[in-house]
Amino acid sequence: MVNLSPRSAALTIDDALHLIRRATFHPTWQLASSLAGQTPGMAVETLMALSPPIPMPDWADDPPEFSDFAAAAKLWPELQRWWIGHCIANVSMRERMMAMWHNHFTSDYVTVYAAMWMTTQSAMLRSKVYNFRDMALGIIGDPAMLRYLNGEQSIKGNPNENFGREWFELFTLGVGNYVERDIIEAARAFTGWRINGLTGVYNPQLADLGEKTILNQTGEWAYDDVVRITLEQPACARWIAQKIIKMFVEYFPEAETIEQVAELIRTNDYNIRPVMASLLSSEYFYSESLRGALIKGPMDFSIGLSSIFGLTNLSPAYVVGIMSSLSQVPFYPPSVEGWKGHRLWINSTLFPSRQRIAEAFLDGREAGSSMRLRDANDTPLTIDFVELVKQMPNYNTAEKVVENVARLLLPIQTSAQQREILLDIMMAGAPTYSWDINSGTAPSRIKLLMQAITRMPEFQLT
Amino acid sequence: MNRRKFIRSVGATGVAVATLPTIVDSFAVKALAGGGTNLERLLGTSDRVLVLIQLQGGNDGLNNIIPVSNSIYYENRPRLSIKKNATLPLTDTLGWHPALAGFRDLYDSGRLAIVQGVTYPNPNRSHFRGTDIWLTATDAEVFGTSGWVGRYVDTFAPAFPDVLPPHPLAVQIGTSLSLGLLGPRGAMGVTFRDPDEFYRLVNSGGAIEEIPATDLGDTPAGREVEYMRNIARSADTYAAVVKQAADAAIASTITYPNTDLAGKLKVVSQLISGGLQSRVYLVSMTSGSFDTHAGQVLTDDPTQGAHAALLRELGDAVNSFMTDLKNKGLQDRVAGMTFSEFGRRVAENGSIGTDHGTAAPLYVFGSRVNSAIFGSDPDLVNLDERGDMLMQNDYRDVYAAMLLQWFAEPSSLAQNVLYRDFSSTAVPIFDSTVSVAETRRGQTFGFRSVSPNPASGDVSINVYIDAFEDAGIDISNVQGRMIRSHTVDSFSGSASFNVSDMPSGTYVLTLRSGRFIAHTLLQVQH
Repeated sequence: MVNLSPRSAALTIDDALHLIRRATFHPTWQLASSLAGQTPGMAVETLMALSPPIPMPDWADDPPEFSDFAAAAKLWPELQRWWIGHCIANVSMRERMMAMWHNHFTSDYVTVYAAMWMTTQSAMLRSKVYNFRDMALGIIGDPAMLRYLNGEQSIKGNPNENFGREWFELFTLGVGNYVERDIIEAARAFTGWRINGLTGVYNPQLADLGEKTILNQTGEWAYDDVVRITLEQPACARWIAQKIIKMFVEYFPEAETIEQVAELIRTNDYNIRPVMASLLSSEYFYSESLRGALIKGPMDFSIGLSSIFGLTNLSPAYVVGIMSSLSQVPFYPPSVEGWKGHRLWINSTLFPSRQRIAEAFLDGREAGSSMRLRDANDTPLTIDFVELVKQMPNYNTAEKVVENVARLLLPIQTSAQQREILLDIMMAGAPTYSWDINSGTAPSRIKLLMQAITRMPEFQLT
Repeated sequence: MNRRKFIRSVGATGVAVATLPTIVDSFAVKALAGGGTNLERLLGTSDRVLVLIQLQGGNDGLNNIIPVSNSIYYENRPRLSIKKNATLPLTDTLGWHPALAGFRDLYDSGRLAIVQGVTYPNPNRSHFRGTDIWLTATDAEVFGTSGWVGRYVDTFAPAFPDVLPPHPLAVQIGTSLSLGLLGPRGAMGVTFRDPDEFYRLVNSGGAIEEIPATDLGDTPAGREVEYMRNIARSADTYAAVVKQAADAAIASTITYPNTDLAGKLKVVSQLISGGLQSRVYLVSMTSGSFDTHAGQVLTDDPTQGAHAALLRELGDAVNSFMTDLKNKGLQDRVAGMTFSEFGRRVAENGSIGTDHGTAAPLYVFGSRVNSAIFGSDPDLVNLDERGDMLMQNDYRDVYAAMLLQWFAEPSSLAQNVLYRDFSSTAVPIFDSTVSVAETRRGQTFGFRSVSPNPASGDVSINVYIDAFEDAGIDISNVQGRMIRSHTVDSFSGSASFNVSDMPSGTYVLTLRSGRFIAHTLLQVQH
């Protein structure tokens, strides 16, 4: 049993950093110090309220028709930059939730083809991000999903089982909690959907409304009955609970922990908002042993670099490029299972790749190139190292600078020995007492320190 | 002298191979029969390599090995079927897809085995579950978190992760780490596309002072710190080792086809010839997907199209690889196998393609394979409820062949790796394997006497072992298939058993005690 009761102690700066590392893409000192002193419950409410609207691309309402492949494919990078750009520029817990749901109710632009169907799906999920029942209902008639898993080709009398299979296996219950027969019967109930422009249209005339038995319930079920019946299964809440825990807390939870969170989900009838509020303000979430227990995904890593170092106007195209080189192409998951994540984000090539990207970033250039970091309008960007450190207390003491920069960049506490080495790196032979934040060498010394920390394997943890 | 005759002659002259000690380093902990034709070769340390080629998407087996005299095949595939006269002859009833000329050449020259009807009970038709099942070597219902290769090579690294083996135990040529290479204690391999790029990536950072880890102990965070540190360390350690091997490689004298797979296999050949001691290489065909739901063949020519292009890439790349290895004198050290998450449905679908199915053939290549077809022609009459073929061989029967026959591992180890004992059903793909003494210099361990030999009834055995260690003797046939085991009275160092129920022939006796293994041969003559 983990302790899900609310933690009452006011957040320290370290607690606040832990919370925003997990709940946003912007683990900055500034945001952490604004939350420090609040109770965990208040802080989570503050974060959940951070939900700036995302302006839709100007082609989002265009008809999903193209003269040729090139015309369709031209919009795919724009689709990626649209979402990732918003995530870089805005602190938003809603987008952190979206990163989870995009990896749950997956679709990819190559299969779906029309980028406007992808933005439609994204907008649908975003509007229901804290309600699993609404998302589950919404995804059935979602044009991108109807295309991605062949729902629009599924006809009464000869249903296509693709969506029905993933519905149970990946979206709601997980393997072992249904039988092959349930897939066949649910596929019947999911018939009747066609795509009309940017909308999924349900036509009961085309749907198989005959009697069927799904998860031991017999009746003339339609698609919404499948949602109801599926969500009544205890396994459904468990499936969603493990997803949330793996995304926000720890990757290898005990079965009992999953059950506890599943119970929260059931109690709240799949309203995820109170579940997130409880989870992220619980004693469990703040356990010392769970801080640093997740491996950053490419999204955490690349957007984190831009936000931590104050470049929230960084070119979205560059961030999309980094993410893609790190095996996460936005809106293009490798399969309907999504990205497996955690340990599979890292290997002997991807780890040094991340080191080189971070090093170059702190040098103000793109990885593997001498090209300066730029904003979307090609204006070069500069990291203000001194300004970053001046947000922290005691910046006139070299030891404190090392300690606080390490707290900002690493999810686990550094040892005295580590700090000593980092101090040596920063001072580069100069005596510690000579540290002066206003001296001309301070920016390059801070950069050396930050580069050394971002090279550490622990920087890949969150 | 052929190999089987060689084994017989060793047995007949009574040479107990185990009495010749072999010096092994701490990681190459097994000394195996290399398959050469002289005793030195037989006593050489293990240098065998396995290359796994993943065919992502589900390879349509029926359009690989065509059942040319089966009318059901032609009835079910009006647009996809390949006419008998368009195939390359294989047997009276089977023909090769013409794009697999590279495989046909290997088969005809004794370097390729075909295993028919490979899948597992309750096959899963989902790409990701299917792939995970093949990589983790679990039952269909079990969600494994480590790969079978990872679990296997983990046994070579007793002190992992504190002490890394001098060479990476497994290598993946590509960008993402496969679940297959995850061991119970972390990632057991390195992943890179190109040795030089790998070296540059790791070494192009500034002069780096090593910042030691904080020990968080066995907590969730502590385990991830450990995991990350291991990846970092193996990248650091192995980038140079891999580069060194690449630089020391024997240059290829052949030109590989200009394809994704050929390029990857060329790197594998380069690294093996340069002395990299990795056990397993994993490559994935990423030039295209075998998931041919639509447009599998050209409408006017079913021998051409997307699937044919993939088969040509596969067959030609492996053929070049084998030629390259032969030129470099490495062909006896390397075996390879293809695998794909499932085969495809017998009947074609409405969009000139095929949907997800079950059983399919896989290929094992290497100079030491028994070039044969294991399993009968596809049975297109008895299908499952979805119209898919039934299992002939469990995929783990092939993995077991790799472990037991190719790597000469004991069945207990194979059982630990595959979670179940497949030794009695392992497909006899390889001619024979005999592992030999594993001992330290100056330590007496092995068979002292086997009498009578040849034997027809009772046999008495005397062995040198540590009196305080438990010991046992396994009896296997020369195919590596275990017949039975006997315990040794460790105090007297003796064992006895009766062979009157065993058919005449040559048998391998394997003595195990502690970390030592020795072998000798026993002739049974009735």
